[in-house]
Amino acid sequence: MTSTEASPRLAGSGTPKAKRGFRLPVETGVVIVLAILVGLLGWLQRPFVEPANLMALLQQAALPGIVAVGMVFVLAIREIDLSVGAVFHLAAIVAALLMTAGIDPWLSALAGVVLGAAIGVVNGALALALRVPVIAVTLGTWWAIDGLSLVIGKGQGVAPAPVSDSNVFHVLSGKAFGTFPASVVIFILLALGLQLVLHRTRFGYRVQATGSNPEAAAHAGIATGKVRLTVLAVMGAIAGFAGIIHLGAQGSVVPADGNGFVLLAIAAALFGGTRLSGGHGSAIGAAIGALLVQVVLSGMALVGVDAAWTSCAVGSLLVLALAADWLGRIWRGRRAERRQAGQRG
Amino acid sequence: MSDSPLISVRNAAKRLGGFVALEDMSLAAERGTIHAVIGESGAGKSTLARVMAGILRPDSGAIEIDGHKIALDNPNAARKRGIAAVLQQSALFPERSVLANLFVNREPLRNGLVSSREMQARSVDLLRQLGLAADVRAPLGELDPAERQLVAIARALLEHPRLLVLDEPCETLDRRQSGRLFAVLGELKSRGMTVLYLSNRLDEALGLADQITVMRNGRDVLSKRRSELTASEEAMIGQLRQALFPLPLRSLSAVAGTLRPQLAVSGLSGGRLAGVEFTARAGEILGLAGLPGSGVSDLFAMLFGQRRARKGKVRFPDGDSLPKNRTEAARRSICLVSNRTGNGLMDDKSIAFNLSSVVVGARDWGRRIYRPALAAERAARQIEALRIRSDPQDLAGALPPGSRQKVAIAQWLEIGPQVMLLDDPARGIDIGSKQEIYGLIRQMAASGCIVFLHSTETSELTGLCDRVIALRHGRIAGEAAGADMDPTALRTLIATDAATVRAPLPTSQKNAGQKNAGQKNAAERNAA
Repeated sequence: MTSTEASPRLAGSGTPKAKRGFRLPVETGVVIVLAILVGLLGWLQRPFVEPANLMALLQQAALPGIVAVGMVFVLAIREIDLSVGAVFHLAAIVAALLMTAGIDPWLSALAGVVLGAAIGVVNGALALALRVPVIAVTLGTWWAIDGLSLVIGKGQGVAPAPVSDSNVFHVLSGKAFGTFPASVVIFILLALGLQLVLHRTRFGYRVQATGSNPEAAAHAGIATGKVRLTVLAVMGAIAGFAGIIHLGAQGSVVPADGNGFVLLAIAAALFGGTRLSGGHGSAIGAAIGALLVQVVLSGMALVGVDAAWTSCAVGSLLVLALAADWLGRIWRGRRAERRQAGQRG
Repeated sequence: MSDSPLISVRNAAKRLGGFVALEDMSLAAERGTIHAVIGESGAGKSTLARVMAGILRPDSGAIEIDGHKIALDNPNAARKRGIAAVLQQSALFPERSVLANLFVNREPLRNGLVSSREMQARSVDLLRQLGLAADVRAPLGELDPAERQLVAIARALLEHPRLLVLDEPCETLDRRQSGRLFAVLGELKSRGMTVLYLSNRLDEALGLADQITVMRNGRDVLSKRRSELTASEEAMIGQLRQALFPLPLRSLSAVAGTLRPQLAVSGLSGGRLAGVEFTARAGEILGLAGLPGSGVSDLFAMLFGQRRARKGKVRFPDGDSLPKNRTEAARRSICLVSNRTGNGLMDDKSIAFNLSSVVVGARDWGRRIYRPALAAERAARQIEALRIRSDPQDLAGALPPGSRQKVAIAQWLEIGPQVMLLDDPARGIDIGSKQEIYGLIRQMAASGCIVFLHSTETSELTGLCDRVIALRHGRIAGEAAGADMDPTALRTLIATDAATVRAPLPTSQKNAGQKNAGQKNAAERNAA
C-alpha cells in the first residue's frame, strides 16, 4: 500500500491475469484417507473389497450419510441441530402407525417428511424468537421428541403390516437396476443435488454468507432469519425422509433406531471438510465422510478387532482429522504469506 | 540516566498484512510531560499505541525505557514496565460490572476472595475526579459510550503507570468530560507521570501538551516543544488535512430548476432521537455531526430499517416510508456502510463472494443460480474501478483496512444506491485509500444519490459536505452550509452541554419554521 502510485494502470488495460496456484478441493483429504483405508483392509482381508461387501457398506452408510448431508447445511450456517436422530425416529414411528391405521402408505410417508420439516421450523422459530443458538433449542426438542416417540410407540418396535406391492415402502426396499439399493441411489443423488444447491444457487450463497459472518450478511440485506428457518426445515425434512427410508428398508422401526445419528452426522461432515465455524460446507465431502466412518466400523469388525474398540477408533480418527486440518491451515497461511512477500519484493 | 527520556521509540516499523502501518516512527517522551502525537486517523497512531501496549511487536526499530532497550512482547511485559494504554477498542467486558472491569486480572483479594468493597474503596476517588457518576455495580454495557471510555481510562490509571498511552480518548467525551480528564492528567503529570496522548485534533493537543509530534503515513514529520512551536508551524499542521479533499464534481446540484427527488424526515423519534426533522436532496452530500450517543447512529439504523422509529414520518425518494428491515432497505437501494459492525465483511470468503452479498444475497432478481464466474467478473470490475490492489479470489480477511472499506462500499455500488448512509467510512484507513473514498463519495453524489455522511472528524464533514446538520442528545443542534462550515464551530455545536444551550440556535429555528410550513412547502423551497 505504500507504493500507491508505483504502477499506474492504463485505462482499458484490463485487470491483470490472475495467477493462482491450483487449489485442492476440501474433499481431497477424506478421499485419500478412505482410499488408503479401503486398500489396507482389502490387503488384509480380501473379502472386504468384494463388490457385494462394498455395496453393503454403501447401504449401511446411506442413512447416516443422508442425515450428514443435511447437517452440512446446518453447520454452514454456524449451527448444530441435535434433534435429527429423534426426528428420524419419530417420523418412522408416525409413518408406521399411520400405515397400521390403514392410511395410504404414500400419504403416511409424506406425513413423516412433513412432520420432520415442521419440527425443523419449530426449532428454527424457537431459536430466532428466544435468540439462542440452535444447539440449545434442539437439546430440548431432542429430548422432547425422544420422549414423544416412546409414548407414541409405547416403547416397542412398530412394524406395519406389509401391504400391496406398489407402495412407497416397497420402492424403498427395492433395488434400482437390480443392484443398487434405493437408499444408496437416494443417498448419492441427495449428496450431489445438495452440493449443487449449496454452491451454485442463490439460497446456497445466502447459507454460506449467513454462516461466514451473520452480522455482515444481515447488514448486506440477507434475510438471515429466513435462511436459518429454511435450513432447519430442510434438515428436519431430510431427517424425516431418512426415517421413512429406514422404515421402508427394514420394514419396522425399533426404539434404538437413530440414536447415534447426530454425532455420526456431525463427524462425517467434519471429515468431509465442513467447518464448525460456519460459512463452508461440502455435501459430497460429508457423504464420503459417512462412508469413511462406516468403513472403519465394519472394517474393524472384519479384521477381528473387538467391537468395543470401534467407537474409540472413530473418535481418534476424528481428532486426527481435526489436527490434520489445523496443520493444513497453518501451511496454507505460511504459503500465502510467502506469496505476499514475493509480490512486494 | 535521569536525562534520558522515559520512553523513546526509534525508527519503528510495522506491517499489518500487506499494509504498512508504521514506516519509520521515532519519538521520545520526557519524564513528567504530556506528549501529544497528532495525525490523521490512519496515520498509524493506533498501531503505535498497540506497539506501546505490547499487543503488536514492531517489525524493526527499538523501544527504550530509561535508556535501556527493551522488548515489549506481550501486554504483561508492557504492564511490568509501567506502561498502561487506553486503546480505541478497549478490551472491556460489557456483561460484567464496572468494578469488575476496573480490576480485570488484578482483583484485590481479602481472605483469598475477591473483595468488591476493597475495589470500591480504591476506585471511588478516581471515579469522582473523572466525573463518572454511574453505578459501579451495574454491568458496563448499560453505560453510554462516554462513560465506558472513562471506565477504560480509570482502569489504566488504577494501574498507577509511569507512562499512560491514550489513543483518541476524547472522541466519545463531551467538553465537560474532556475538561475533567485534562485536569486529572495535569495533576498526574505534576506527580511525575508521563502521558502519551494520541489524537487527530490539533487544538486539543495544543492546549494540553508539553511536546508535540506530528505523524503522517507512519512517520514522524515534526517534533517540537509546545513553547517552541511557531504560529506558522501551527497553521501548517492545521492545513495538512485540507489538501485531502477532492473538489466537488459538477453534479445535479449545480443544475438549477430541475426537480430532484428528495428524502424528507419529519418528527422522527425513537432511540435517542427526539423529533428530528430535515430534508435531503439527490446529489447532495449531507453531513451529520454528533458525538457517539447523540443519535446519529440511531438515525442511520432507522433509515436502514435496522431499528424501529417510535414516531415520525420519513419519505424516501421512491415515495415509500422507512424500510421495515435491512433486506427491504437493500432491495430499495438504501445502503449503509458502517465502520463499527465488524466492518461488515466475510473474512473467510473471497472478495468476489463478498461483492455479491447484496446483488445475490439481498435481492431476489434474476435467476436462482449463483455463478462464481459471474461473481468474479463483477469483482474484477469493482476492483478495477475502486483500485483495490487484490485478486477477486483473495480472501477478504487478508485485505488491509483501506481495501476492506472499499469492498464494503463496493458491495453496495453494484445495485446503484439511491440513498447512501456512510458512518465514518474513512476511519482508521491509510491516507491514499481515504482520498480515494472521498473521491468515491463525490462521485456517488454526482450520480444522483443522496449521500449522508457521519464522521468523527469534523474536518472531513466540512471538507466534503454541502451541508452539515449537527445532532446533540437526539435533537438537531444546528445546521451549517457552504462557507459557514468550520470544524471548530461544528465541534462547539455538537459538544456543548445540554444545560447551557436550551435556546435553539437560529438555524434550528429555521428548521422549526419548515415544520410549521408543512412538508410540501418545505419540499418546494428545497427544490428551488
